[in-house]
Amino acid sequence: MVITFPHMGPAYISIKALFEELGLKIIVPPAVSKKTLEIGTKLSPELACLPLKINMGNYIESIEKGADTIVITGSCGPCRFGYYGIVQKEILKDLGYDVDVIILDPPKNGIKEFVARIRKLAGNNSVNSILSAVFKAFRVTEEVDELIELCLKTRCREINKGETDRVMYKFEKAIRETRGVSEIRRCIAEYKERLRAIDIDKEYQPLKVGLVGEIYTLIEPFVNLNVERKLGNMGVEVYRGLTLNGWVKYHLAPDIKFRLREKRILKKADPYLGLCIGGHAWQTVAHTVNFADMGLNGVIQIMPFGCMPEIVAESILPTISEQEGIPAMTLIVDEMTGEAGYQTRLEAFIDLLRQEEENKKNEYKKVLSWN
Amino acid sequence: MKIGIPRALLYYNYFPMWQTFFEELGHEVVTSSPTQKDIVNLGVSSCVDDACFPVKLFHGHVIDLTDKADVIFIPRLTSVSQGEFICPKFIGLPEMVKNSVKGLTPVLILDLNLHKSEHNLIKAYIAMAKQLGADSRKALRAFRRASLRQKEYEFKLKSGYTPLEIINSKQSNRIIKGGKVIGVIGHPYLIYDSHASMNIIEKIRERGYNVIVPENISDEQIEKQVSNLPKKLFWTYGKRLLGSSFFMLENKKVDGMIFVSSFACGIDSFIAELVQRFNSRKWNIPYTMITLDEHTGEAGFETRLEAFLDMMKWREKSGNYLSAHGASLYLY
Ligand code: SF4
Ligand code: SF4
Repeated sequence: MVITFPHMGPAYISIKALFEELGLKIIVPPAVSKKTLEIGTKLSPELACLPLKINMGNYIESIEKGADTIVITGSCGPCRFGYYGIVQKEILKDLGYDVDVIILDPPKNGIKEFVARIRKLAGNNSVNSILSAVFKAFRVTEEVDELIELCLKTRCREINKGETDRVMYKFEKAIRETRGVSEIRRCIAEYKERLRAIDIDKEYQPLKVGLVGEIYTLIEPFVNLNVERKLGNMGVEVYRGLTLNGWVKYHLAPDIKFRLREKRILKKADPYLGLCIGGHAWQTVAHTVNFADMGLNGVIQIMPFGCMPEIVAESILPTISEQEGIPAMTLIVDEMTGEAGYQTRLEAFIDLLRQEEENKKNEYKKVLSWN
Repeated sequence: MKIGIPRALLYYNYFPMWQTFFEELGHEVVTSSPTQKDIVNLGVSSCVDDACFPVKLFHGHVIDLTDKADVIFIPRLTSVSQGEFICPKFIGLPEMVKNSVKGLTPVLILDLNLHKSEHNLIKAYIAMAKQLGADSRKALRAFRRASLRQKEYEFKLKSGYTPLEIINSKQSNRIIKGGKVIGVIGHPYLIYDSHASMNIIEKIRERGYNVIVPENISDEQIEKQVSNLPKKLFWTYGKRLLGSSFFMLENKKVDGMIFVSSFACGIDSFIAELVQRFNSRKWNIPYTMITLDEHTGEAGFETRLEAFLDMMKWREKSGNYLSAHGASLYLY
């Protein structure tokens, strides 16, 4: 059995850690590229959501490298994500690929059920060693998240432009060369150090922008056209509404403190949308309000074309923007999204935020001089 | 009080229930006009671009009710069956409308979520009756009468009528003896909305074919068909489309099948894909998919329909069952 899985931003690092720790053979899907997208688009239903298409591309690329088992997570509705695996399996079958598709639905009973499911995959591991591997993988997820956070703080403040990107580029290469949890963690630690070593302008007051939207689009840089990097290089500090680490802490790892915090944020959505409607639309609404409360300069919602829950959030966003006084923009990506138009829209939005910030400062000065 | 019910989305599934319920509580029920060009335009201009056609239509129908009703009824159907859901957009429908329609008439929301337990059905209706100032006893009686009407309605649907034939009591249901049968698969709010669907059912009948629709297939048959899926299909209406298509195809109830979908429908993109793949693998019955939206033109639609009917005839004559794989086409 050679396992592969969909590529979703940095998730491969944790998944790799988990499976390697369990002694399973895996193929890490190549980073998402134009080719992945092309393969996926060709094979998938035209109106399927973008993540499904890219996953298809991942599978084919990994199968070509020898994978014969695909492990994915699922859900039991209401969104399409819960049925990805079935549709993908049928497509693969018609293509003549004889692979197993194993769907890990989110455990209703938390970590115990999760371990039981992993056990089916990794039969000769004891419950204890599975538990230990799972917790190590959680730890890796946390550390990767810290690395990304550091990167977001550094990039917008770096003195030599492009330095953060160069470090991260090397990191992506280095991490793929590692084997096993301890090597992975050492590699992450080393690159954290390198990021800390970057010269930054400590006085600089960056604009602050929050990202919300559909989780896959937010987490996979290829799909969001590297929005975090683009904003960072415009000197903007990025805040993330959804992270992989957050998802793990909410759904898998029993992190009470994090859950309470997240619930408090969700509460803020009440005047606009008081319940989960599938996907992460509730979070999109709640975090937008939260970002306004935090005093951020603006919010960008990112979603794939046709994303059902995010469309609902999109129609609520203008009201929130008006009531909470935070500029918001929606970016929709699909397989045809062009780099140029995207960059222009981002720049235009950031310009707008800059102007508002200037206006605010001037107002403030005026008030001061009047007194 | 005048309660307005938009003639869109789940109107086609539940109108008898809703109408009876409100009338039993002593209110007057008005419905929006049947879909026309201006309703489409109103919907399209008020709703976010990326929404599917039926949701835009719903917005149009809500606006149409503005001066006709004192309150507008907007159902929030999260789940209509235990352990299942419907489309995420139905869950967020009241929020979408409230945030998109300017100068909205007050709304009355039915909050129905049977995901955990079917007992919530009664509770939801009683809670709504309370909003209208009715006590539980009255509400309960209205609920019973309404459920009865709904049952009758669903029973009639199974005997081969379409929802509109029953609602408008124009039960023509012409069965053409010896005529070929075409299965028309699609969400009720699309295929029975004669404007939105380009009157597809009538057009097929005019050409001498019989039509059967998912509403004609019994729940048991549908359940049986989908029970073989490797994972439970958790969308109640998606399941209805998939199960009824499989039933029609497997039992050779149809000589051809048209899947009518709306552009940007998330559910259909999966369901139609599965129907098409299973059909070309197992049954190979002439099949096509027609995608509709606000830009669909009459002429293009007719051509598309004719082409499909021609294909059916041709395949019958040549006895050569070529796969209809990849026959889907978008109409603008
Ligand atoms: S949330 Fe959006 S992208 Fe994810 S499955 Fe649902 S429709 Fe697709
Ligand atoms: S099921 Fe499809 S057509 Fe119906 S509301 Fe959802 S996305 Fe729109």
